[in-house]
Amino acid sequence: MTGELLLSALGVVGMLLFLTVTTFALVWIERKFLGHIQMRLGPMRTGYHGIMQPVADALKLLFKEDFIPGSSDRLIFWLAPLAVFVPAFLIWVSIPFTKELVIRNLDMGIFYIVAVSVVSIIGLVMAGWGSANKYALLGGARAAAQLISYELPLIMVILSVVMLSQSLDLKTIVEKQAVIPYVLLQPLGFLIFLFASLAEVGRTPFDIPQAESEVVGGPFVEYSGIRWSIFFLAEYVNTFAVGVLGALLFLGGWNWPLLPPIIWILVKSYFLVLVIFWMRATFPRLRIDQLMSLAWKVLLPLAFLNILIVGAHQFYRWPAWSLSLISLVVVLAVGYRLRWRRIAGTSRLGLSLATERRLANDRTP
Amino acid sequence: MIGLLKGLNTTLKTLFRRPVTVQYPDEHLPLAPRYKGFPALLWDDNVQEPYCVGCQVCARYCPTECITVTMKDNTKFKDGTSTRKKIVDFFQIDMAKCIVCAICVEVCNFDAIVMSDAHEESVFSRGEMVADLNRLLEMGRGQEKKLRKS
Amino acid sequence: MKMEAEKRFDTVDMMLNMGPQHPSTHGVFRMVLTIDGEKIVAVEPHIGYLHRGTEKLCEGEYYLQIVSLFDRLDYISSFNNELAFVIAVEKLMGIQVPERAEYIRVIMCELNRIASHLMFYAAFGADAGAITPFLYAFREREQIQSVFEAVSGARMMHNYFRVGGVIEDLPPDFGDRMNKLIPKLKQGIQECDDLLTGNEIFIARAKGVGAISAADAIDFGMSGPNLRACGVLEDIRRSEPYSVYPTLDFDIPAGQNGDCWDRYMVRMEEMRQSLRIVEQAIAEMPQGPVIAPQVRKIVKVPKGEVYVRVENPRGDFGVYLISQGGDKPYRVKIRGASFCNLMTLKKLLQQCYVADCVVVLGSLDIVLGEVDR
Repeated sequence: MTGELLLSALGVVGMLLFLTVTTFALVWIERKFLGHIQMRLGPMRTGYHGIMQPVADALKLLFKEDFIPGSSDRLIFWLAPLAVFVPAFLIWVSIPFTKELVIRNLDMGIFYIVAVSVVSIIGLVMAGWGSANKYALLGGARAAAQLISYELPLIMVILSVVMLSQSLDLKTIVEKQAVIPYVLLQPLGFLIFLFASLAEVGRTPFDIPQAESEVVGGPFVEYSGIRWSIFFLAEYVNTFAVGVLGALLFLGGWNWPLLPPIIWILVKSYFLVLVIFWMRATFPRLRIDQLMSLAWKVLLPLAFLNILIVGAHQFYRWPAWSLSLISLVVVLAVGYRLRWRRIAGTSRLGLSLATERRLANDRTP
Repeated sequence: MIGLLKGLNTTLKTLFRRPVTVQYPDEHLPLAPRYKGFPALLWDDNVQEPYCVGCQVCARYCPTECITVTMKDNTKFKDGTSTRKKIVDFFQIDMAKCIVCAICVEVCNFDAIVMSDAHEESVFSRGEMVADLNRLLEMGRGQEKKLRKS
Repeated sequence: MKMEAEKRFDTVDMMLNMGPQHPSTHGVFRMVLTIDGEKIVAVEPHIGYLHRGTEKLCEGEYYLQIVSLFDRLDYISSFNNELAFVIAVEKLMGIQVPERAEYIRVIMCELNRIASHLMFYAAFGADAGAITPFLYAFREREQIQSVFEAVSGARMMHNYFRVGGVIEDLPPDFGDRMNKLIPKLKQGIQECDDLLTGNEIFIARAKGVGAISAADAIDFGMSGPNLRACGVLEDIRRSEPYSVYPTLDFDIPAGQNGDCWDRYMVRMEEMRQSLRIVEQAIAEMPQGPVIAPQVRKIVKVPKGEVYVRVENPRGDFGVYLISQGGDKPYRVKIRGASFCNLMTLKKLLQQCYVADCVVVLGSLDIVLGEVDR
């Protein structure tokens, strides 16, 4: 009993260390990646190609003044970073990296992860409320609305994965993908997962709670120094969690040949994270009402449809390729529909070129 | 969906292109030959005195009144070594006020003032931004090529 | 009468102060929003944080000096401002500007227009939440700025135009440089277009947001690309031609709905048209002097008054100049395009979301230096 406890404690410490290093790596990768996409170099001063930049940033944040706004709700302001940070780390307890490398594998692992990750919404709302700042309040309210809405399609799409693998245990889910990763079986599910989890972690194009051009950082606007860095850490840990979960649920986890399993899982997760960064570099931000309608009018029905497809597939024992085909057709149809509605439907460009002067009076009949 | 993919493609293409920036303090972009930095005074090597005679026309036409000039009798004129009857006695430019408009260069009748290349002139106090005659002459060394023909 | 319990759940509108330190108010502009949740109920713009008293300053300065003050009005498009003032003085003095100088002016102004619209693209993308457009546009703008540096010696406050012409001729390598620059710019603008224009998210953010009808826009005194986005084909380069614009062939793009999307598209197209103008102007530019011979360094203007307007990248930029004779003007009144465009904000932001607020403000493309003067 004691030995097991000790082993778990060791595992937790190891996980904390790993996640901190991962955060540093992600911060560096993101800055370099964005930099090169924007045709600049990104950090270059600290170490080889700025590799120590995250460490320097962390040190700077550590030594900053711990500032609490005068009119803030001190207790809530103080608790908010923890309320975001703790769930972000708790989910890692049951995420397996390989068959052996997991702190405590749960039979209902994916259920646990979904349940715990929702808690971090409270932290964002607390941060928004406790800061006594109107921008923070707006951001907090946005965060609550967004995260709760996107929880649903996320859970629904995870449910379809569970239906396919007939298990809530992440290890079993991965083992079922030994031959065909689920992304091939349900591309639709994968896309819904990607978008919903992007919204979950508040990354572009769904970074509406933080939107620096509108609510200047949202819930975090009054935070600085170490408290802010805790939010920051949680954000990157969550981003990485999306990468790992995506790899486990859809990309076949550690399951590919040639390389050792741990390398495969890391490669796949980092690939997903890079895709997230890539989107961040490219897309503008949605508006809050568009975000809501995307969640409730597009993603949620599609997630239900996905469940329906998977259910029918399971019930009638259709071959695997039929599932991929149906899923792909739905993806293309939705993509075409989006395009049609946004561009072709409302004439792409109302530009008229003219070489004469014409005033508004001429336009009126 | 097409537009999203097109955007992703664009960013992916630029990812592998050479960055267009330079690492600033290590590497400076070349300045244009006509670059207007802070104004500086020129030194007449033939008679070893400034070109400036202290006529104050630059001070009068400076939009921000950052130039202060006084003149004095030129001792070298009496020796016959110089053709300048009067010479600048005191010349001061408050670089903090200067808006590098080059009007002083334009109005100067003696081509005594030029826009130098100096532009990285940060100092720790406002007083240090005031440049006196010696510093202006120092700044003007090697800037003769920049004389505007007007 | 409401029940006690009902009253407890009544919502109150929140007052939100946006600016002058807000990152997307484009300088020191402040608006006080009254919001109901995310919806804007009322908006009260406050200006004046960048007031420098330029008009009063002009009364105490020589004509030579005033050009440098005009640089600092709309600091994104300095050349166009200078042009308005020097044309006003030239009209009063009755000076015929040498042809080459006119062409140089047009080239500089049109390059400046491209730089200004690129700046708009950059800021608009950032307002909509995309981070890369800013860097793309600045990469292109940088090339133009370095041409400006080579020509006038300064990247922003050029002080290059003079009454009667320009201060000095183009540098000898200008032609080669432009031959290289123009294809690069075309490609760059196309890349900017690829990145943002077709993007469904961007279209969703810009289309139908902050629309204004042509009649309203004219009543508000809107001008420039913002007015053309409403479908009014009003361009001073066409309607009241100045300089050598009548000899150049270019199209005036116009939108239909007057929303953010049209304002964006009009500017994107205008950049291409400006490039066309630059190409033609370089091809047709004659040799010769660049400043009228009768102009002395110290400009003395006869008695009289004149109103001149030019097409600034932001719209109709006017200068009303009264001279009592002598070397200083009696009164200079500046009609800033940004100011009039900004005044439509109240109208544009009706029934908008907080997030639209920055997009609409970005689409108006104001420069606070010109609003406050």
